[in-house]
Amino acid sequence: MTTTTAAAESSTRRRGGVADTVASVMVAYRWELRKLAAQKRTWLGIAVAALTPVFFLLSIQFSKVTPGDGPYGDALGPNLRHTGLAIDPVVLVEITMIGPAILAALIAGDIVAGEDMAGTLKTILVRGLRRGQILAGKTLALFTYVLAVVLAFIIVGIPAGIIAWGFNPVTNLNGDRISALHTLGLTIASLALYTAPFLAVASFGLFLSVVTRHSVAAVVGTLFYTVALQGLSGVPAIAWIHPYLIVNQFTAWYGFFHTPTQWYLITRCLWVSALFAIPPLIAAWIIFQRRDVDS
Amino acid sequence: MTVKNRDDRQPGVAAHPVEVQGLVKRYGRIAAVDHVDLTVETGGVCGFLGPNGAGKTTTLRMLLGLVRRDSGSIRVFGRDPADDPIQALEGVAGFIEEPRLYSYLSGRRNLELLAAFDRSGAGAAVIDEVLELVDLRERADDRVGHYSQGMRQRLGIASCLVRRPRLLMLDEPANGVDPAGIRDLRALLRRLAGQGITILLSSHLLAEVEEVCDRVAIIDHGRIVYAGSLSELHASAPPRYRLETTDPDQTRAVLAQLSRVRDLDQNAGEVTFLLDDAAGSIELTQALATAGVGIRTLVREEETLEQLFFRLTEPDPPENPHAVVA
Repeated sequence: MTTTTAAAESSTRRRGGVADTVASVMVAYRWELRKLAAQKRTWLGIAVAALTPVFFLLSIQFSKVTPGDGPYGDALGPNLRHTGLAIDPVVLVEITMIGPAILAALIAGDIVAGEDMAGTLKTILVRGLRRGQILAGKTLALFTYVLAVVLAFIIVGIPAGIIAWGFNPVTNLNGDRISALHTLGLTIASLALYTAPFLAVASFGLFLSVVTRHSVAAVVGTLFYTVALQGLSGVPAIAWIHPYLIVNQFTAWYGFFHTPTQWYLITRCLWVSALFAIPPLIAAWIIFQRRDVDS
Repeated sequence: MTVKNRDDRQPGVAAHPVEVQGLVKRYGRIAAVDHVDLTVETGGVCGFLGPNGAGKTTTLRMLLGLVRRDSGSIRVFGRDPADDPIQALEGVAGFIEEPRLYSYLSGRRNLELLAAFDRSGAGAAVIDEVLELVDLRERADDRVGHYSQGMRQRLGIASCLVRRPRLLMLDEPANGVDPAGIRDLRALLRRLAGQGITILLSSHLLAEVEEVCDRVAIIDHGRIVYAGSLSELHASAPPRYRLETTDPDQTRAVLAQLSRVRDLDQNAGEVTFLLDDAAGSIELTQALATAGVGIRTLVREEETLEQLFFRLTEPDPPENPHAVVA
């Protein structure tokens, strides 16, 4: 065996295998996180998520809205001003699916297309990681950003609500009183569930980012996608499909605030979200693997 | 076509850095690269020249696995990037058009990122070493967005060197670099070539190519029109003569009648032309003497790379030399 052949075989052993693939994806993931952390838009998204419940809280606190009006009509709205635990669920209703769509599109639409346009994609594609590994790292980083947004919403919204209106029991959607501690658990579970359709929208944004190669087109396309689905959810002729649209999964957390818990809403949210997330991710992966990088 | 190194390759040594055969890339009806054959042998600096849109950047993209070919074969150190880009491009580094780095990260952070993506284990010491080499150590912690174009080019080269390459593919590395920077770049390329790195240098700066390259490949309309050593290229072109006589108009008229004279031109009192062979100069002096024209000076000039480049890449002048006389 020549030295060259031995080196090649050694290299083959080094490059390949599950452990090596995972290590490569983790390299891409760590650096994608660092890149996101170095960009203002990431912090803007997280800041918006953190400050939105505070903004709502202040506007309700200092407005002349009377019970029965505006946010008081939302799910758990009657609990406003009685308990701080109501603020995060009410804000979720108020921001509809547009809020998460904007926050997801902001990063998802740019994560590949932004690099394509800046030319840095071709810089990283000629190094030692495979395209699939780079895209996997980007996907994980995007999902981490979504989790960070939800976490910021929880970490700021709940304490702000408690400081303003106290840590008191809540009347749920069936009119039953549930303890403050139980409500806290349900709120966190609700936000965890809310993350599922949020990730699905982000996945579609990533797909558009790969396909369009243009940040603005991908961001606007993601917003248009959610608005179009929202439009479909208002068409009576296709009412049978409404429960299976991703936009309607953003309210699946209501299931936690029913007595008994409406698990069918929760499980449907999970599998519908998966159904809306996985095909775009697979399509993005296939296209990213095969596409020419000629920008 | 083969771009040969000055030294013959030793048998048993690893495959050529680049071997391309029948390479084709089409965008719709247009063949950006049209049956290109090219072999770059180990060592030295090989210039890759061509007008805008000739196909050199597309060829480099295919070599680096960024663009898929329609047909033909590519071997980089004996491996096909289409089969396994990671293994095929081990020991290969380069950039296309210009180095693109993250403007919101520092120069050092960019190199750390790329070293991590290489998974080569290149640490801080290697990064410091290459930063020193491209004279960017002082500014390494500044954001790339604050760098000048020349500094970005140097950082781009540093990003390649972090990879410890055996083959460097550089596309217009002197873009935006000031004259002093170009001089330093030239010295750096020579030094790297001296360390055994093969460099494939795509450039529009023909004078630079002539300074640092010992071999060139010239591509035009997607096809290689010349590949070989610079000295062979110079030798392949008939020499241009510059002639001053007692009667330039009469001289032009006399030379226009000679079959070995081509590309005849007149500028004030000076007539320039190409001569196909040495015998032509005898015929020329005899013809001028017969016409009663006295020769003041007759200077033989080698064509510059630029003149050779245009000869190879621009449409042929009309057959009739009279037509090009002003």
